[in-house]
Amino acid sequence: MAHITLNQYLQQVLEAIDSRDGAFCAEMLSFKHPHVANPRLQLSSPEEKCQQLLEPPYDEMVAAHLRCTFAVSNHDFVEAYKCQTVVVQYPLSFQAHKEENCSSSLCMCGKGKVGDMLEKAAEQLMSCFRVCASDNRAGIDDSKKWGMLFLINQLFKIYFKINKLHLCKPLIRAIDSSNLKDDYSTAQRVTYKYYVGRKAMFDSDFKQAEEYLSFSFTHCHRSCQRNKRLILIYLLPVKMLLGHMPTHQLLKKYDLMQFADVTKAVSEGNLLLLNEALVKHETFFIRCGIFLILEKLKIITYRNLFKKVYHLLKTHQLPLDAFLVALKMMKVEDVDIDEVQCILANLIYMGHIKGYISHQHQKLVVSKQNPFPPLSSVS
Amino acid sequence: MAVNAAQQAPTPNWPYGSNSSGEGQVHENPEWEKARKALASITKSQNSTKTSPTNLTPQQTGPYQPTDSPAMQQQQYYQQWYQQNQQQYAGYPYPYNYYYPMPPYGGPYPPGQYGVQGGYQTPTTPTGQAPAMPMMEDQSSSYSSQPPPPATPQPPPQSPTSTDQPPPPPIPPPPNAQFPPSPSQTPYNPNGTLPYSPTDSNPMMQGYNSGQIRPGYQGYQAPAYLPPQQQAPGQGPYGGPGRVDAKKPNNSNMNKGDQQPWQRMKQAPGTGAVKFNIQKRPYVMGNQNFTSGDQAPGLASPTAANPSPGSAPGTSNTSTGSAQTRPQDWPQAMKEYVQRCFTACESEEDKDRTEKVLKDLLQSRLQDGSAYTIDWTREPLPDLKPKQSRWEAIPQRSQENAIGRGGATRGRGGARLGNYRNVFSQRSPSSSSSRSSSRSPSPHSRHRDRSRHHRSDSGSQSDSSMSSDLRLPLSRRQQKAARGRGGERGRGRGAAGERGRGRGKANRGRRNMEDLSGGIGKKRKGGNAGLDFHDPNREAKKQSRAARFHTKLRTEPLVLNINVFDLPNGTQEGLSWDECPIVGTCQDITKNYLRLTCAPDPSTVRPVSVLRKSLIAVKAHWKSNQDYVYACEQMKSIRQDLTVQGVRTDFTVEVYETHARIALEKGDHEEFNQCQTQLKALYKDCPSDNVGEFTSYRLIYYIFTKNSGDLTTELVYLTPELRADPCVAHALELRTAWALGNFHRFFRLYKNAPRMAAYLIDKFVERERNLALRAILKTFRPSVPVEYVQSSLAFPDLDSCVAFLTGLGVTFTPSDPSKIDCKVSSVSLTTS
Repeated sequence: MAHITLNQYLQQVLEAIDSRDGAFCAEMLSFKHPHVANPRLQLSSPEEKCQQLLEPPYDEMVAAHLRCTFAVSNHDFVEAYKCQTVVVQYPLSFQAHKEENCSSSLCMCGKGKVGDMLEKAAEQLMSCFRVCASDNRAGIDDSKKWGMLFLINQLFKIYFKINKLHLCKPLIRAIDSSNLKDDYSTAQRVTYKYYVGRKAMFDSDFKQAEEYLSFSFTHCHRSCQRNKRLILIYLLPVKMLLGHMPTHQLLKKYDLMQFADVTKAVSEGNLLLLNEALVKHETFFIRCGIFLILEKLKIITYRNLFKKVYHLLKTHQLPLDAFLVALKMMKVEDVDIDEVQCILANLIYMGHIKGYISHQHQKLVVSKQNPFPPLSSVS
Repeated sequence: MAVNAAQQAPTPNWPYGSNSSGEGQVHENPEWEKARKALASITKSQNSTKTSPTNLTPQQTGPYQPTDSPAMQQQQYYQQWYQQNQQQYAGYPYPYNYYYPMPPYGGPYPPGQYGVQGGYQTPTTPTGQAPAMPMMEDQSSSYSSQPPPPATPQPPPQSPTSTDQPPPPPIPPPPNAQFPPSPSQTPYNPNGTLPYSPTDSNPMMQGYNSGQIRPGYQGYQAPAYLPPQQQAPGQGPYGGPGRVDAKKPNNSNMNKGDQQPWQRMKQAPGTGAVKFNIQKRPYVMGNQNFTSGDQAPGLASPTAANPSPGSAPGTSNTSTGSAQTRPQDWPQAMKEYVQRCFTACESEEDKDRTEKVLKDLLQSRLQDGSAYTIDWTREPLPDLKPKQSRWEAIPQRSQENAIGRGGATRGRGGARLGNYRNVFSQRSPSSSSSRSSSRSPSPHSRHRDRSRHHRSDSGSQSDSSMSSDLRLPLSRRQQKAARGRGGERGRGRGAAGERGRGRGKANRGRRNMEDLSGGIGKKRKGGNAGLDFHDPNREAKKQSRAARFHTKLRTEPLVLNINVFDLPNGTQEGLSWDECPIVGTCQDITKNYLRLTCAPDPSTVRPVSVLRKSLIAVKAHWKSNQDYVYACEQMKSIRQDLTVQGVRTDFTVEVYETHARIALEKGDHEEFNQCQTQLKALYKDCPSDNVGEFTSYRLIYYIFTKNSGDLTTELVYLTPELRADPCVAHALELRTAWALGNFHRFFRLYKNAPRMAAYLIDKFVERERNLALRAILKTFRPSVPVEYVQSSLAFPDLDSCVAFLTGLGVTFTPSDPSKIDCKVSSVSLTTS
């Protein structure tokens, strides 16, 4: 396949079209297929040949595709993108999986592009998506709706890249209302939940995020270590926020040792270490977009720290000064008694501490039963 | 001729579908001949076959008119149609039938309109073909409804002094108008070309009208029918020949050489049936007319080309035909293609049709030169399908009925019926593809089909050779054999697709005919019934089905339409300004802002030097007057002038920063954001000292919008230097405090906000206070002093704090109004 001539290639495409073999046809237009690397197919002007063999619009598609391979091989991604756009202009008559691969190749091209290209790509995909979504007539088996999830995933990918998470909402709604929701391929569902989980995390809906990301992680194919790692990058902070600390083994297995110190600091209530860890791996965390999430671990850390104070003092009436000392030990700058009250207030408000502050006596009065409820039970 | 030989070969018992090899061979020749003919005809047409007046003469010569113009071809359909009608009237002695009966009916149009547009336009416009189909229907339905042609009495048909070349009125005149000119035009065209010219339709009308005048016809016939008849009279003897020409232009061409014998063979079968045919084709002596009529369309179309309405001598045609292409010169591929087309034909009708289609196609190809460039091997075989298919059956019946009713001339009527049916049959193969028939291929029906087929064949053959009655049966058989042969061969070569189609149609047509016409068909049945039974039929159907998916390659070269994308957002404007920089000349320090709707006029634009003064003036005015409306307008006009002149310098930055600050101070977030956006872009080119300040504003603004996504991206791009900037550092701290809900720290930072950050924080400070208060009320027991709240939440003074608290419905402890009853307040706050 990798060394076929142009004529052979076109012949195959023609056969695929004639025999309505959408899957194969899609392969022939896909960028994941080995034919892409075939120098014999990388032509700068394949129009004429295609025109002779295929009927419109297929000839145009194939020609554009071939030229696209040519452009990619020359690392001319912009040109490639333009070609690919042409390819994708004809989604209307395709079966679902055909579209899938079309757009998949589009996204591969899109990667190399700057932001506005991505947005254009998103528009193209969106039009494909609309076609899929509006395909109500076809039977369930060959409905274009099967292509929806794939397109949505690609759209997610772009939207996350260009930071337009708000655009994801209608897509999620479309899938939620789809009766095929649970029948899509596992791979697609894993991807979908991964993105939806990430979105939920950014929306601070950690319970949901944990649910989606856990699904993703557990259903992700075991050989897809890279994907699993990607999922973990988001699943770990969420889990930690909810009180589940990753084991050292897990971090090691997926090469996520950046989290090791964070994990340790949080569970120990070591605010100092946490700050150091965050600063140390700040770029990594920021690049992954989880820095702000990890920062929220400080609250958990406070809780753990104060829990230690409680255990040390072994009383239900804790003087606020004790917490002040603890915070100062952690080298929190400019901390004063009012801030201690503020932090405590937040912890109590969020349910991490059962008790109240007596402003008059400057004491924290904690519940005699389970004053620091386990994180997993909180909110 | 080989053909003759084939005829001679008696296949007395023609087995179904069995094509004896020997016969097949014999038949090959005819096909080749056809091909040759077609080519020849094309060349002729191109060369502008002279339509010699002699040919046109009402006598048999008529058929020979070489009318190659495409217009003619278009009209094929009409002709067929017309023929039908004529056949009905066949009984009439009018030898002159016009080809264009169609127009009067104005098929596509509602019957009422009849006179006006429909009839006339359709023929003229190339698109007219499409309408032709509907016309058929309309006829059936509209027979009664159609008003008889306008009362304006036409000159008696014969009377009209037919000028050979009536001026072709390009636009169909209103019906009435038409009539007057008509007499002169049509009927007498010696050339016979007239019928073909679109304009001729008018003459048709005339004829029609005149026909109406005749009482006799009207009596038994529905008005709709009348027109054709009448036309005939009007046209007189000439019309007849002209029509013939149209039908059998091929013959004319063909006739020139060997081909005549071939045609004779065909004729034979038709002869038996009808008496009245004579009128149509004077030269065809006997009944054959009917059949001939059917075939005629096929043949006619290719030749039909004579576009020039009046072209008496056909010389005009010659001119059009480009001498360029001689058959010898044709690309080999094209010749082969023609061959393929003919081998794909299974029946004579198919061949005829193919011929005409090919003629059009090749002609156009040759003329535009594409014949030498396109890939003939991939060229689809011509689609023989006539478009009228479905509608025919119905109209026929109705017509028959009408005829039957017409009691007046019984004998005639009967005769007509016969003719009529024949016509139908003939016609149907080409045109009508009733789907039902195709679906249910019962052997019986096939037999019938066969029989009809024969008939039709005979008709076609009859055209050329009058005498060959005896030969007829033989010729038919041969033809059949040839067909079978052709089919097989075609398959073998893989060209079968088209042929299949042709077949399918033919079969369907035949069936229809059967249904409609009982008598004649049955006669034939007995003899021929079995013939069609061979597989090819089925295969043909399959192939015809497959043919639907036949690839149509695009004809024009494919050009990838790689679109040029819009320029990236921000730059577009800038680029356009950069391309045509203008320098303002306006010296006014102040200027009102007007949104530009057209190219800027330099006289109204201030140069940078003036703008500097303007900025200072605006600042001063702002400091002294705090008139935001004025300041904003002035700032916007300054910005506009800068944009128009493409100025992107430190001064531009200063202007935007100034405006942003003023807008921020007054809480005009719209302008503020515009400035921020511009500043972000400007800072890349002209970094200023205030980058940190405005970066911090941006961060804070993200806090305000709770846009954690953008916040994260912003964090990514923060350089260490920027982080060190006091403003940015403050904003970052603020963000941290905000994220952790550390209101104490948050409000402390709020109080210490550098520069104008506090203005921005003001936007959401209420929101944060509210949240903080909830936490406080839930946490503190039993009460909390108002002072604590005031200091924690950074209220400037106690009163404002109390006002805030009471505004939220906070309850103070009864004993001490300076303390908040947290429990009660918390409940009310959460419920509220």
